[in-house]
Amino acid sequence: MALLEVENLCIDYRTKNGYLRAVDGVSFSLDRGQSLGFVGESGCGKTTIGMGLMGLLPPNGFIREGRILFEGEDLVKLSPDEMRAVRWRKIAMIFQAAMNALNPVQRVGDQVAEAILVHNPGLSKEKAMEQVEELFELVGIETDRMRDYPHQYSGGMKQRAIIAMALACRPALIIADEPTTALDVIVQDQILAETRALQKEFNIGIIFISHDISIVADMCHDIGVMYAGQLVEYGSREEVFEDPVHPYTKALLSSFPTLTGQKADLVPIPGETPDLIEPQLGCRFCDRCREQIPSCKEKTPEWVAMGHRHKALCCRCEMGR
Amino acid sequence: MTEKTTTGAEVKGLQKYPWVTSFLEGWAIFRQSLLGKIGLVLLTMFALMALTSYIPPLIDPMYNPMTGVDPDITDSTGPSLKHWLGTDFMGRDILSQLLAGARVAFMVGVSAAVMSIVLGTAIGMTAGYMGRFVDTLLMRLADMIMVMPTLLVVLILAAVFGQLNIWTIVLIIALFRWPGVSRIIRGQTLSLKQRPFIEAAKVAGASHFRIIFRHIMPNVLPLAFLFMTFRVTSAIIIEAALAFLGFGDPGTVSWGMMLQWVWKTGHMFKALYWLLPPGICISLITLSFYMLGRAMDEVLDPRLRREDQTD
Amino acid sequence: MQDRPEPILDIQNVEKIYRSKGALFGARRKDVVALRNVSLKICEGEIFGLVGESGSGKTTVGRLIVGLEDVTAGNILLDRENITQLKGRALKAFRRKVQMIFQDPYQSLNPQRSVLDTVSEPLVIHRLGRSADRKEQVHKALKAAGLSPPENFFYRYPHRLSGGQRQRVAIARAMVLNPKFVIADEPTSMLDASISAQIFNILLKLRESLDVTQMFITHSLAAARYLCDRIAVIYRGKVMEVGSGEMVIRNPRHPYTQALIDALPKFRTRGVVKRYDTLLEKDRRLEATLTGCPFYPRCAVADERRCHREDPELKLLGDGHYVACFRLA
Repeated sequence: MALLEVENLCIDYRTKNGYLRAVDGVSFSLDRGQSLGFVGESGCGKTTIGMGLMGLLPPNGFIREGRILFEGEDLVKLSPDEMRAVRWRKIAMIFQAAMNALNPVQRVGDQVAEAILVHNPGLSKEKAMEQVEELFELVGIETDRMRDYPHQYSGGMKQRAIIAMALACRPALIIADEPTTALDVIVQDQILAETRALQKEFNIGIIFISHDISIVADMCHDIGVMYAGQLVEYGSREEVFEDPVHPYTKALLSSFPTLTGQKADLVPIPGETPDLIEPQLGCRFCDRCREQIPSCKEKTPEWVAMGHRHKALCCRCEMGR
Repeated sequence: MTEKTTTGAEVKGLQKYPWVTSFLEGWAIFRQSLLGKIGLVLLTMFALMALTSYIPPLIDPMYNPMTGVDPDITDSTGPSLKHWLGTDFMGRDILSQLLAGARVAFMVGVSAAVMSIVLGTAIGMTAGYMGRFVDTLLMRLADMIMVMPTLLVVLILAAVFGQLNIWTIVLIIALFRWPGVSRIIRGQTLSLKQRPFIEAAKVAGASHFRIIFRHIMPNVLPLAFLFMTFRVTSAIIIEAALAFLGFGDPGTVSWGMMLQWVWKTGHMFKALYWLLPPGICISLITLSFYMLGRAMDEVLDPRLRREDQTD
Repeated sequence: MQDRPEPILDIQNVEKIYRSKGALFGARRKDVVALRNVSLKICEGEIFGLVGESGSGKTTVGRLIVGLEDVTAGNILLDRENITQLKGRALKAFRRKVQMIFQDPYQSLNPQRSVLDTVSEPLVIHRLGRSADRKEQVHKALKAAGLSPPENFFYRYPHRLSGGQRQRVAIARAMVLNPKFVIADEPTSMLDASISAQIFNILLKLRESLDVTQMFITHSLAAARYLCDRIAVIYRGKVMEVGSGEMVIRNPRHPYTQALIDALPKFRTRGVVKRYDTLLEKDRRLEATLTGCPFYPRCAVADERRCHREDPELKLLGDGHYVACFRLA
């Protein structure tokens, strides 16, 4: 059984101009020890997926449809209290700009200990501190820095402390939303390497959300490419990045400058992202698409299987099948 | 399923007049505020009162609020057909006085508020933008004025200079009421000063003058306008208090003045028909300006967070 | 420094120290050294990349050039004229020649002013042209920045524009004066990849059509490689390596540059990637000093006796490739 299975997830936001469908019919699954990456541009719904899985949607957001099966249990049906028990203990999250999530007037070690105590009420403070020590060793912070305050930490160390907090209850799934965006590349590289090692050691499933294709390509076994609330291409890292079929994936890849290989011209995607309150009929990408055919505008695209797990949401691919 | 509200922006042709669209957008938020709506209705009422105040003296000179005396009446009388709210101790019509008082309240409130806002905004922007010793100097001055009890100082001035003309009172209120505004505008200016668009203007070669008036001022004006409504409230209250204590302009019928007459002639609890109308009017008009301000606050929020109110 | 002819911009031994005001009680003064003896020459018509991590001082270089801050020591020459002490009329004349594109397009446009107001402002300030001519020039600048049709944007306000559109307006504002030199300070760090690529291509096109020299400040080596003719790598206020883009990226010689390239996720590469492994597992602990190589605490190949005592200077390795490292000398 898969660790996480999401079926036809739809998440709406109530806005003053009507309902905005931020996530539209997304399905995927993830096994323990595997990692799945979501890439896409801002506003494509990737962060909303993470928040939806954690049950932490903002007050105007709600899950309209779909199922989130986590270890066989549907999270959508849980009450807020039951969800609280699952959250953090079984599913942990590393937020975007998590470095600001630390309380500036409390020692870092105490904050991590508190996270442990909240979820293990029977534990003594000493026992918790022992666990914190272990965790700090695990994520590569010297244990004598436990008694320091957040402002004494560098950005990378704060991020490590956040990862330690996420690991505190040995979760089965971690959702990492742009975990290294604010960090310098050298520190980012170290943290990603440590995350990979920890994932292997504890057999954790990771959902990795980022706008940076190269990080996702580096970290994840499976990739989901998102556009305007929809998953448009899904498959293994090799399938999606070496042999992309959806025009959006191709366009995204060719707009990304690389360090290796020949210096090639970047091909930007023309235009802007579409309106999600009244999404257009047919394919949402067709106005910006280089490969569009007449039927793209009228026909709602359907999933086309390209390989073992590789699939794409595209009329053109449908035709070519 | 989807409820769509059309904002002005979607109306083609208005694009060129952005203040229309931003006004309509603001209005849409304003309309949702109950406080704002009540305040606006009340203010409209007072404005109508102020306008109609010109009518009674035209009907009959005895309805002139200051000089018109009903020849048949020698003491305060209750409401009658001829005098809907009754008359005061000299036989002057209370309704006409009340209407005239509305006019005076608006005049005093708005002009004192405008003056103090203009002064406060100019000083606040200068202090915030120039920084260093100019800032220190102006802000110390502001502090000094701010800690002075306005009413007391005005009373002393009145005692020294004798009877004050209504415009002098307005001026004094304005001079004592700018520091609060200037502190807030200064804070706003300080944060604007750091914003890249100010730096971009500098890089383009803009002078200090240009930066202050073209870039900083338009961004602090909404806040200044917001504070104007609160300043109106305080100006009306100060004027009423002065008049009640007997330091008002004897040539002007204001609500405070009416209260003073009630009190001085010993009708305080005998003639409720005389005491209540000006009292209620003062409370209501200050309340309605305040409610209007609160609603405007919501319109401006979250772009401009309201800082501590100093009154 | 280069064997090319006249540089248009010549940065000579520039130093920038932020002096902290001593607290009222207790004299814990700590000056922050933002730039240490930086020298760079930028040639006419090139796009010069300044690459560094956060806190490296790369933005400070840009701000010093446009005169938003003053140098602590050293000179900056534009067209052989020293620009560090300009005042009054000379400063205003200089402003016409050098412009800047800021990092955050959400902050760099005045929310209360329309696109037409914003882009025509430099023309108004420098009293160029009449109202109609100005409109014409704004039209041209917006078009060059890829906003079309330009007249549709004249009366729009920033909050009605997307991030990419805002940055184009900022580019048009910088270009409307036909400056000689433009500094682009991380112009795409707030934008999505596909929009960034649009902005990059506009900057490249502007170089072709207007012949404007550019300094591109970025944290991304990949973006610098795509856009720039030459690249300088800066770390903690010191220039570590200068050379042509391909040279610095394909054949980095400074251990810091090598560590940077090691750290970047390898993306769409097949086969084994060469690693330099110049980063220490654990930083050396030492007291903060102002001498020595700033990378010394993290450098795996450092000379323990020399690297933290002396300042390595930029040395020519040949073909315009300069590196500041003792190990190569």
